[in-house]
Amino acid sequence: MRIVIAGAGEVGTHLAKMLSNEEQDIIVLDKDEKKLYNLENYNLMTMRGSAVSLDVLKNIQVGAADIFIAVTPHETINIIASSMAKSMGCKKAVARIDNYEFMKPAAKKFFASYGIDTLIYPEYLAAQEVKTAMAHTWVRNWFEMLNGELLVVGVKIRSNSRIVGIKLKDLGGVSHFMHINAIKRNREIIIPGGDDMVLENDIIYIATTRKDIDNVIAVCGKEQHTVERVLIMGGNEIVEQLVYLIGSKYKVKIMHNDLVRCQELADQFPDCNVVHYQAGDTDVLEDEGVEDYDVFVALGESSESNILSCVMAKEMGMRKTIAQVENLQFFNEAESLNIGTIINKKLIASSTIFQMMIDDDTDNAKCLALADAEVAELEVGAGAKVTKADVKDLRLSRDMTIAGLVRDGVGQLVTGSTRLQAGDRVVVFCLSGAIHKIERMFG
Amino acid sequence: MQLSKHRKFTQSINFPIVLRVVGWLLMIEAMFMAAPAVVALIYGETMIAIEFAISIAITLITGLAMNRIRPLNKSMRKREGLLLTATVWVFFSIFGMLPFLFSGTVTGVTDGFFETMSGFTTTGASVIRDVENLPRGILFWRSMMQWIGGMGIILFTLAVLPMLNYKGGVSLFNSEVTGITHERMRPRVSQTAKSLWGMYLVFTALLTTLLILGPMDWYDALCHTMSTVSTGGFSTKNNGLHYWHDYYTDGMIMLFMLLCGINFTIIYNVAVRGRFSEFKRSDTLKWYLSIIALGGVVVFARIMYMGFVDEWQFAAVLAWFDTISAITSTGFATYDYEQEGQFIFFFLIVLMFFGGMAGSTAGGAKIDRFVVLLKNVKNEMYKVVHSNAVTSVRLDGKSVPHMIVEKVLAFLSVYVVVMVAVAVVLTLYGMPAFDALFNSLSAISNIGFGYGEMTNGIDKFAMIHPVAKWLLAFEMLVGRLEVFTVLALFSPGFWKKD
Repeated sequence: MRIVIAGAGEVGTHLAKMLSNEEQDIIVLDKDEKKLYNLENYNLMTMRGSAVSLDVLKNIQVGAADIFIAVTPHETINIIASSMAKSMGCKKAVARIDNYEFMKPAAKKFFASYGIDTLIYPEYLAAQEVKTAMAHTWVRNWFEMLNGELLVVGVKIRSNSRIVGIKLKDLGGVSHFMHINAIKRNREIIIPGGDDMVLENDIIYIATTRKDIDNVIAVCGKEQHTVERVLIMGGNEIVEQLVYLIGSKYKVKIMHNDLVRCQELADQFPDCNVVHYQAGDTDVLEDEGVEDYDVFVALGESSESNILSCVMAKEMGMRKTIAQVENLQFFNEAESLNIGTIINKKLIASSTIFQMMIDDDTDNAKCLALADAEVAELEVGAGAKVTKADVKDLRLSRDMTIAGLVRDGVGQLVTGSTRLQAGDRVVVFCLSGAIHKIERMFG
Repeated sequence: MQLSKHRKFTQSINFPIVLRVVGWLLMIEAMFMAAPAVVALIYGETMIAIEFAISIAITLITGLAMNRIRPLNKSMRKREGLLLTATVWVFFSIFGMLPFLFSGTVTGVTDGFFETMSGFTTTGASVIRDVENLPRGILFWRSMMQWIGGMGIILFTLAVLPMLNYKGGVSLFNSEVTGITHERMRPRVSQTAKSLWGMYLVFTALLTTLLILGPMDWYDALCHTMSTVSTGGFSTKNNGLHYWHDYYTDGMIMLFMLLCGINFTIIYNVAVRGRFSEFKRSDTLKWYLSIIALGGVVVFARIMYMGFVDEWQFAAVLAWFDTISAITSTGFATYDYEQEGQFIFFFLIVLMFFGGMAGSTAGGAKIDRFVVLLKNVKNEMYKVVHSNAVTSVRLDGKSVPHMIVEKVLAFLSVYVVVMVAVAVVLTLYGMPAFDALFNSLSAISNIGFGYGEMTNGIDKFAMIHPVAKWLLAFEMLVGRLEVFTVLALFSPGFWKKD
């Protein structure tokens, strides 16, 4: 697939690297040669120039592109560039925006008339992810697939879990209601076979159905806490969107180190407590009475300080911590440091693009990106390879597994003897770099 | 203390994967060697064919054996990329000289290695005095080595084999393709490599056909085509193109030398994508063509003034042929200027130093870099008076970032330093100072003209001391891979932990 990415900022660069590893044809466009130079050692083509230049767009043959992704820092440029790309013959256009109004259904028609198929608003999606994480305090990740018929959750396993140390093939009696898709241990993620087992401190990704969720909690040795009070550190756009989403439900306190921004937030959200603290003041968490809060969300600008303050909050007895970690190198570190849930804008943006890659008709597919794996939902095409045999005889490559499916509106897990049929909607869990294989198997 | 000593060198270089890939590439070389074997059979040179078969067998077996190495991890980063690119050329030369050794074309490993490296790097310097009496198969292999090396060994592999087409392949691409920045004309490196080799094949087919239409037979046509499109310069005759003395042939070869000295990306954009504006946009192309036009005029005027030749038509062909041959680093020998005109000779040396355009098959320091250098010098001149001026170096209508300008300046400095350093060592082995300097330039720019009393005026390096031969062979590789790829391996920072 030929994908043009306009804007080699954080999100653009991440998308470019990741999609290049997925064996797609990538062209990255930016005005700044220095930013492009950082991509020199990746398998992609760079082009210097403006995203809103007709000449440049013509030069990179945008008309032959499958997806045009505008992720420059400027919303207006993104909108105009994708609109131009679309009018020049590009199949799909995506623009990154930072205005909540545009996400409303009423705006959809307007943007469609400009040729923009999908809008990405990473901050808004991040806020939604934080909200989900608050509602399910016992998991690391909570993905509702197939309209909620199937759940994929990431859980950190402790010694009190009943599944620790038992080979997966012998687990049948204990956990027939769940399917272990992947095990992450010491920075490495694998799709397990029957002889593998879950060990203490692993993070496992489980597929299950909604009715069995209480059983899963029990088997994993977890507990769902009720959340009433939320402490947020940071003052960025995600914080704003988050308060819009949860302000009425929970008691919220915002801590931020910029006084002017604090005042803005206080004006905007009269129901929240806003606290200004001096940068570097480590006692602030204690002063604000961390122990009285149920969830701590660190959305500061620096990944390091988000991680650190979450660790501190945890030590002070906080049950659930959520940190924004934009630095992907810190991701594994943060995961091993017992931070409840990690939020990353780039992964959220990737999810949207993957979704478009799997299925041209984006309403029909869904994809969620983890740091080193993806969970994708799609429909099995007529005559697809996977319908030719039972799942156990399919010889799926070792980097993917079928988590579950919906047939006739009912969600169910997939076992070795399941036979997929055309029209089934399936959830596939695959390791990074394998998503381009999905289309071949299921399309 | 002991621990720190133990850990001084980086453990992170993944040698097994480098060796494994070299194994793959050797198998490809064996495949290439089959072509001269077939040629030998066609001309009834059974012994030569058998010697080629033995060489193929040795190369293939070594390749297979190396390919059996199973690296623990398959990661290939910058260090591995540089190491692989540099060593592949050495491995190719070591195995490529086998047919020469077996057939007794050259005596000794020194001469064999020199000749082969000279071939693969498209230098075209030769230790063989009498090429006309060589077997056809051997001569064919000589030309073919240039053809392989001209576009690049790694590039060929990237084009045909998917196994290098992951992240590691990119650093390989960057270390083999010439130029300041490594342009890609299509999104993936493998596609770019395919396009480049595709164009190269088209050029080869075209020129071969055109030459067959002239006085050459298919064998000479093919050999000279491979020498021309790679801007190498090996001929199948002792007198080179003089043997035919034909305007048509000279003209065709001239045209294709000129074409192959142009950045292939520009040719691709114009010929395949129909973007003629690319011609207009490229400053470097204007410089390249202007230098050739003007250089030709200077040489022509001098020839006429001195009365070297009688007919003006012949003088004109000579003038432009030699100008193009020098600037593209082909080095087809035509007229013997040494005897009569030091001026023209020296003038051509300056052109050789310039070289062709980046991203072409030509050698030299590349015109692109000189354009950047000159524009930068112009800015500095301006700043002498206007000391607070903020200036910008512009190329092809776009500003060149300081980072790139610095890189260009560093490249040119190192290029000259290497050239002079080698020349100094050459004088140690009894070569006169000017000859040493010229031969060193000839090697690093991949031209292949030889000069001086010891070399008898024709491009023959036979008489040089063995140490000097090794040194020159090494210098050719340094020049072909554009200095940093090879020299980086000799910097402590490459091996040390950082």
